[in-house]
Amino acid sequence: MALSAEERLRVARLYQRLAFGPQPGEFAKGLKMGADALGKRLLDPATSDPGLKGIGAPTVSDLGPFPDPKSAARAIFTLNLASQRIGLQIWWLDRMARANNPIEERMTWFWHGHWATAISKVEYALPMYMQHQTMRNNCLGSFTEMAQEMITDAALQYWLDGGQNTVKSPNENLGRELLELFTLGVGNYTEEDVKAAARALTGFKVVRSSGVTTYSDIKHDSSIITVLGKNRSYNPSSLVDHLTQHKRCADFIAERLWFRFVSVNTPTIEIQKISRSLGQSLDIGEAMRALIQTDAFGNVVNEQVKAPVEWFIGAARALKVVPSKLGTNQNLLRQLQSLGQVPFDPPSVGGWPADEAWLTLGNAQARISLAQDLVKAGNLTPITNLDTKNRVDGIADLFGIARMSDRTVTALDAVKTDVPTMVTLALISPECVVSI
Amino acid sequence: MCGEYLMDTLSRRKFLQLATGVAGSLTLGLSMEDIAQAAVARPLPAGTPILVIVTLYGGNDGLNTVIPYQDSTYYSLRPDISFGESEVLPIGEGLALNGSMTGMKSLWDQGKLAIIRGVGYPQFDHSHFRSMAIWQSGSPVSATSTGWIGRWLDTQPTDPMAAINLGSVLPPLFMGARRNGSAVPLTGLNLPKGSIALNCQHVAKSSTQDTPLQAVASESLRNLFSIGDEITPILKTPVPISSDLPTVQGGNAGGNSALSNQLDIVSKFVAAGAPTKVWSVSLGGFDTHADEKGAQSILVGSVSSSISRFMSQIQNTTRKNDVTVLVYSEFGRRVKANASHGTDHGTSGPVFVIGNRINGGFYGDQPSLKDLDQGDLKITSDFRTVYATLADEVLKTPAERILGSWMPRYDLFNKK
Repeated sequence: MALSAEERLRVARLYQRLAFGPQPGEFAKGLKMGADALGKRLLDPATSDPGLKGIGAPTVSDLGPFPDPKSAARAIFTLNLASQRIGLQIWWLDRMARANNPIEERMTWFWHGHWATAISKVEYALPMYMQHQTMRNNCLGSFTEMAQEMITDAALQYWLDGGQNTVKSPNENLGRELLELFTLGVGNYTEEDVKAAARALTGFKVVRSSGVTTYSDIKHDSSIITVLGKNRSYNPSSLVDHLTQHKRCADFIAERLWFRFVSVNTPTIEIQKISRSLGQSLDIGEAMRALIQTDAFGNVVNEQVKAPVEWFIGAARALKVVPSKLGTNQNLLRQLQSLGQVPFDPPSVGGWPADEAWLTLGNAQARISLAQDLVKAGNLTPITNLDTKNRVDGIADLFGIARMSDRTVTALDAVKTDVPTMVTLALISPECVVSI
Repeated sequence: MCGEYLMDTLSRRKFLQLATGVAGSLTLGLSMEDIAQAAVARPLPAGTPILVIVTLYGGNDGLNTVIPYQDSTYYSLRPDISFGESEVLPIGEGLALNGSMTGMKSLWDQGKLAIIRGVGYPQFDHSHFRSMAIWQSGSPVSATSTGWIGRWLDTQPTDPMAAINLGSVLPPLFMGARRNGSAVPLTGLNLPKGSIALNCQHVAKSSTQDTPLQAVASESLRNLFSIGDEITPILKTPVPISSDLPTVQGGNAGGNSALSNQLDIVSKFVAAGAPTKVWSVSLGGFDTHADEKGAQSILVGSVSSSISRFMSQIQNTTRKNDVTVLVYSEFGRRVKANASHGTDHGTSGPVFVIGNRINGGFYGDQPSLKDLDQGDLKITSDFRTVYATLADEVLKTPAERILGSWMPRYDLFNKK
């Protein structure tokens, strides 16, 4: 019996949105399994992942303070700084591309965009890696727990001037973003709340190179203040509890999940469903299970442009390309830079943009160039092994494309004897750039 | 229509090149003829106004840009990050430009710089993202996903060259309901070589089966091939000379900053007569929560030198009276300094409008440092008045079509 278009769309979406796209052969299995079973398997995979075999931890260490600019040690220091940064970035790309069960990578990628912290300011790889581990460990767990750990995170503290927020004169940077971008969303607090939150977050000291944050009660402003209507003396931990228990927090987390996994348009009913499923502890796993079960998750209108890293990793997974082996690491990061998205380096604390912002001339050009490199390095046998007449369908399944326009079918069919060109065109086609 | 026509001719030309083997590779490696051809293929009619929008990301500290240096409150609220009389460039009414802004001061003295004071919008939002979205949408009252330039594009014939943002990501400013502006990376466009180029155009064709975002994706791919041909040769032309600026180490002052590199590209296109009516360039780093004083001088100094250098380059072209530059940021900063020798997010700030046709001087009232709104400057001018004036005078499009009904205007342009 032929599979319904709706079911194929749902399966494609599960792979695209939750798994960075299928590995070769996976899409057909997913279709056989059905969307319901596939969704469960993607969110609750087996614990061991043979795909990650051989990927160790990245080399990140405490490089100490910046040596004097004129000293000989400075040049070596700068090289170490760069090599640890590049190592960390490529390490994560490799994990994303190779994981057989990529939900942990995908969720951590989401949280990276949520608590968007950039190595361009933090500079050291070690605190960025420590932050990464905090998000990874909590990526499908309790948001409250994650927020508690994040508020003492050295990279986040440094990024938002936390160490400079003092009793004498609070610096509002971290307090504001904690309310606006991390827990409640814009419009759900007053300017007075921002000022009060900043006072509640005083008392931190950050050593950037080691990623160590210390908190001192003596340097903390413990006076009675009002945050969101609640009058008391706060410390950072009780502030985070207060914010995450606020009824708006669950709605906000639900909206952010919807925005990144489904669509920039957030429908009220679905948000309420997901928000309720978060429960008292703000259980992210439960929210994701609720999200993929909504009818709207399978609605064709909820299309989404793949962010550059998502597009790249999708291609790498389908073509069995290991990012660290695709030419030089610097060159790959440069290419991602020209696409506008490099891991560990979001443009601002608001994270990366969405949808049409990625559909520029510059991106179109950079995508063509990177697609050619991917095809050159990639394993094309899933297509070359097929009869020429089956190749267009084979490409759709390889990349997990729900449906192809006549335009793209015609364009691919015209070059079906030239598989590298065929795969390159598929990668840059609107069907592969946009996840419908 | 225009865009489609262009696309057809370029595709045909490329096809002929391929078919005859003249360009064995489509590197767009360029002869002088190509460059000349690009410049004159469909130039902007003489006298067509051009708008250059400079966005300062992060919230520029207006009080340390246009400085109330004779107001004792300024010094008492900002003991460590204020600029004294000896450090600033007085421009009258108790105000002075930051001492690093010598280029802007010169434009002020020439009567080419208008400073609109206390600019903002009602119910001010202190979020970078929300406030920037409001400035770029031009709609403080109701949230909209389109930008004010995007809505102008909606009124124009299709042309991917009409509005160009320099940078690889498209800002909301350039998003229209029916079409978007283009975003071009600073490095230019290197189109693919060989048969892949022709094949790419096959997957770039429009299809009625495309979803809305797929249609935008295919359009961006089409535009890459249609305007890549036009853009690349212009990028290879030299930057127009700015003969009246001092030379520093072999280059003009203000060169090689992130902003001047972008404006160099704009000046090349303007000089070449490119059919682009709106440009968008940007500079980040204005979120000076800590250690502001030195950083602020460097930032506004860079804005000042880049723009004065650009204006100087334009003076050597036939378009010198056609270019208007708008400079804005999402908000000014808190009046009182914080303990990190920086400032937190504030409200209103000055907007600069620059051009040969500008009636230089002050517009709007300087917000008081004593009569504050919860520690913030009051809003004395509305950005919609600036935008509406630019819509009338530069975009030559009824402001109603972009901003709805908004009546006030500034007398920014001399009509001679």
